[in-house]
Amino acid sequence: MDVTVAEYIRRTVLKIPRDEIKTMLQKWGFLSETQLQTVNFHQIKENISQDVVQLCEENSADIKQAAVLDIIYNHIYPNKRVWSVYQMNKTGEETEFFDLTDFKKKFKRRLRSALKNVTINFREYEDNAVWIRIAWGTPYTKPNQYKTSYVVYHSQTPYVFISVSVLKSNLPLLCQALVVASNYHDIREMELRSHSLNSLKDIVFKRYSQNFQTYYPRPLQERNVAPESGDLRIIQENRNEKERIQRVNQEVFGDGPQPKLEFAQYKLETMFKSDPKMDVLDEKEPFRCLVKFSSPHLLESLKSLAPAGMADAPLSPLLTCIPQKARNYFKIREKKGFFPGSFVSP
Amino acid sequence: GVFAHLEMLEARAHEAAVKQEEMEQQEEKLARLKARVQELRLQRDELRAKVDLQQKGQLGKEGVVSDPAQPSARAVLEWKIKSVKAMLQVFYLTGISGKLTKRGVCFCISTAYEGTYLDSYHLDLLTKAEVQIHRHSVPIFIPLEQIAKKYLQTDIRRFLSVLSDHLNAYAGRRYQADQLQDRFSDRIEGTLQRNSLCNLLVFNYNVSRKSKTFPFNARLLYGDPCCSLPTEVTVSCTPDAPASLAEMAAAHSDLFRRVALHKAFRSFSSTEGSVD
Repeated sequence: MDVTVAEYIRRTVLKIPRDEIKTMLQKWGFLSETQLQTVNFHQIKENISQDVVQLCEENSADIKQAAVLDIIYNHIYPNKRVWSVYQMNKTGEETEFFDLTDFKKKFKRRLRSALKNVTINFREYEDNAVWIRIAWGTPYTKPNQYKTSYVVYHSQTPYVFISVSVLKSNLPLLCQALVVASNYHDIREMELRSHSLNSLKDIVFKRYSQNFQTYYPRPLQERNVAPESGDLRIIQENRNEKERIQRVNQEVFGDGPQPKLEFAQYKLETMFKSDPKMDVLDEKEPFRCLVKFSSPHLLESLKSLAPAGMADAPLSPLLTCIPQKARNYFKIREKKGFFPGSFVSP
Repeated sequence: GVFAHLEMLEARAHEAAVKQEEMEQQEEKLARLKARVQELRLQRDELRAKVDLQQKGQLGKEGVVSDPAQPSARAVLEWKIKSVKAMLQVFYLTGISGKLTKRGVCFCISTAYEGTYLDSYHLDLLTKAEVQIHRHSVPIFIPLEQIAKKYLQTDIRRFLSVLSDHLNAYAGRRYQADQLQDRFSDRIEGTLQRNSLCNLLVFNYNVSRKSKTFPFNARLLYGDPCCSLPTEVTVSCTPDAPASLAEMAAAHSDLFRRVALHKAFRSFSSTEGSVD
């Protein structure tokens, strides 16, 4: 077995939390159950990884199998990477018949025709998602297994989720291969980025809870009725306002959990509006300013602002439009015309 | 002199205004009390009528407390609410229902397949200027934009009908594929290859005959997006298989084209049971 492969497997195993190593190796399926029984998974990770490499040596693992283990790791822990969303376009109206074998063949052929030194691995999952792992080399060097890009594509959708590593120069090549393989015409990057791959999927596939008005009576248990606290001496003074805030919040954010985003960024290219007497800026140039909201869970925190009394309800549409517009990077320019104000660029 | 005179006039005006206000208040109060009197008189008449009725009822029959011909207002209201709810439920069960909103209308398309209700999808439409889709929960692989471009502006009914056909067919295809994976996983070799729209299924399955199992490969292409049965089916067996199996493959191919996938597999199990 190649020394680089052994080292790669060793380092991959070291990334996995100790309690998960056995399950992940079982999912991998490269080592037999009897082989796994011989490993003591309670020792320190350093030793576990050495034992696993030893077993892989016995089975003569090559880079393809090692790559599969890497895909499995990234599939279970996708939040360790930053994912961007790309949208593909096409003009044809024919019904799609996504053939997986066809897709894989076209993708590999396109990519390899431009760059021979790449390692390409595919893995399909139950939710119609295809995971592609690409390790990049150069025309003169072998693929570097530590410089990998990941692509997640759901068949018959125009969205691709890409996690690029350092080598951004390979991105156009990757995009081209995707477009060709999936029968689309072009591809562009959306202004939507996050660590949480599933939340990005929720946003573009519209799987998050939107509050639609229907007559279909919801069972009463679903409605949030806060139980009355026992002490009757406590009187809610502004109950009406509280209820209004709850209602407005529910209309905007829906009932269910919000997709998980870590930040929203607003690039302002608007004129600074000050008292003309203060004359802060001599030249009438747009005041360049960047506003960034960060949070472990941005949308949930925005949802709780009004009920916590920290902001007025309804919140600014610039904040609440994030899931619907499927973006968390905005450019705000002056609105041209009679009415001064700001408008969000598409 | 002049100022004193002005002051006196001011004071007089003020007094007059105050008096005017008092009078108005008095009149208001009077009107309110008169209305209250009317109310109370009405109530008294009603109660009197009730008492009369009760007395008459007791002379006639036994144990009739209130006249069934005059149900209470509350009972009438409850009955009305119940029948409206039932009507809305009926609309929901037809598969396409809607509710007017402030800026337009919100439609709900519910899908079902052979008696099983499946997912519901929503469309929030704006109707003020031209008809626009404000937001929706239709899956991204359903060609919503194409259907909207064709029909939304000209014929909303047709738009909803076509969209409902797409969604119901997709729900039906997915249901069949899920049933196949859940109920007949022992007959499937390897994984069932499918896609988001469930319009191309490729799988290997086993057919047992005289205590021997033969592998078949099936490729089902659902060419019509509004149909939950395949348009093209290819069933093949290994090249060295006996001729009778080739016949069976053809028969299966025909069956898959006519009958739902999981039902076809159910019929395999039953026929095999009788052969062995």
